[in-house]
Amino acid sequence: MPHQAGPVTRRAIPVALLLLLSPAGASGSFSFPEPPPPEEYGNLLINRASAAGGVKPVSFSHWIHRQKHTCRVCHFELQFNFEANTTEITEDANRAGMFCGACHDGKQLFGHQKPEDCDRCHNGDLRRGAERFAPLWRLPEERYGNRIDWNAALAEGKIAPANKLTIDPSGEIGFSSTILLETVWPMVPNATFPHGKHTKWLDCNDCHPNLFNIKKKFTVGLRMGSIIERQYCGVCHGTVAFPLTDCGRCHPDMGKIPIYPEPASR
Amino acid sequence: MRKATVVAVALLLIPLLAGAQSGTKKRRPLPPEFGRVLIGASYADQKFPDAQFDHWLHRAKFTCRVCHVDVGFAMKGNGTGIRQEDIMAGFYCGACHNGKLRHEDRTVFAACAGTFTDEEKESRCLRCHSGGTKGRQKYDFFAFVADLPKERFGNGVGWQEAEAMGKIKPRDFVEGISFKRREIEIPKDIDIDAKVPGMNEIIFSHKKHAIWSGCEGCHPEIFSGIQKGLTKYSMMEIFEGKFCGQCHLNVAFPMIDCQRCHTKPVQ
Repeated sequence: MPHQAGPVTRRAIPVALLLLLSPAGASGSFSFPEPPPPEEYGNLLINRASAAGGVKPVSFSHWIHRQKHTCRVCHFELQFNFEANTTEITEDANRAGMFCGACHDGKQLFGHQKPEDCDRCHNGDLRRGAERFAPLWRLPEERYGNRIDWNAALAEGKIAPANKLTIDPSGEIGFSSTILLETVWPMVPNATFPHGKHTKWLDCNDCHPNLFNIKKKFTVGLRMGSIIERQYCGVCHGTVAFPLTDCGRCHPDMGKIPIYPEPASR
Repeated sequence: MRKATVVAVALLLIPLLAGAQSGTKKRRPLPPEFGRVLIGASYADQKFPDAQFDHWLHRAKFTCRVCHVDVGFAMKGNGTGIRQEDIMAGFYCGACHNGKLRHEDRTVFAACAGTFTDEEKESRCLRCHSGGTKGRQKYDFFAFVADLPKERFGNGVGWQEAEAMGKIKPRDFVEGISFKRREIEIPKDIDIDAKVPGMNEIIFSHKKHAIWSGCEGCHPEIFSGIQKGLTKYSMMEIFEGKFCGQCHLNVAFPMIDCQRCHTKPVQ
């Protein structure tokens, strides 16, 4: 006769397990990095060739850009890879209108023309633009990451990011089915994946077939450990999209169990 | 025990079935690299670097079926098993690259030779056998495509539009290689249901394919072609390079362009 755990017990078990595992996990796959402050979440320094070329690394802020453009604009149309320093961005390419240069062309936005503009990207400062973050507190609140519920902000019309530059999604990306992902560990509640929330931002190919195959259960190696190592969901969730500390957002039955101390309301 | 074995075998098989997917994003080929094939990797006794074949130049000059039907190249890199002797005897590359065939305003250079001088090695052998480094080709990609209509992805060239505009005129018949055919009657477009509920339906245009590939490019080897619905395949297999993926993985517009096939919204 299998033991039927009540909802509270069901929620408590994975957390207890995590706590039990945490000393071992400190050097293993379940060690979460210390979260950056909200205004640094999703910021990165691009230094593929900058330092070697005698300029400072480029600071890039996702939260500045995602207010104006959806993910697909840069990660699909403009062909930015999902991992920093793997896209062959060069000054020549930018000047030819590729990558950053698609918008930063000196006409729509500052570009490569004026010497005083170099420092606006090539500054090596991860906190660059932090002073522009405060006005975003008007957006719906979230617990982690930028502490902004970007989906709600989009749904409520508080931000209106452009979904294309020149390349029209040639058909509507209307696929919105929510799928249930059964977990491997019996005590961990199942996860759900809503296509609809993702297709508002992304193109199909941003995830398929590289990250996820298109047939359920055929994505090999999809487990929490790999996700924390920034594969699969972890390609975005953990660095740009809401972080993995927010268990209950994917595993609804886990509720709001915090990995980190619950942040104070802002 | 038996169940455990089945599970173990299933687990071993899954990676084979799901080869297209890896958990991290792959680098997309740059426009000049799209459609590039390195030929020769499989030959242990090869004395030269791999031959680099870029589809973009040849497809601007010839239809797919000249090479893949009339000459007989397989659809997969290194799938043909080309040997130097074959080329010298006038097969495969040697069918055109024989130093005799006239194309446009010149004679096509001869490919492999039995003996060659050091000078010839530079100007002739390494022209193809560049091993993926910058080859000694006559054409520069960006200069070549500058005047052609733009398109998203792949080579960044709208090949079909380029042909419709008359900017490229791919030859469909090469004397001595091609055989005379009756003109194709182009069948109707096909509406293919996607298996996943809510997914846009696929419109397959025969017209867009038949001009380049003829009938033989696809039928009967890739698609039996006898009756709609008879060939069973899935998107998983296409991503692995089968069926539509034979061309649309590496040469024809790539599969990142989902909505180009999945065009028809479900009611």
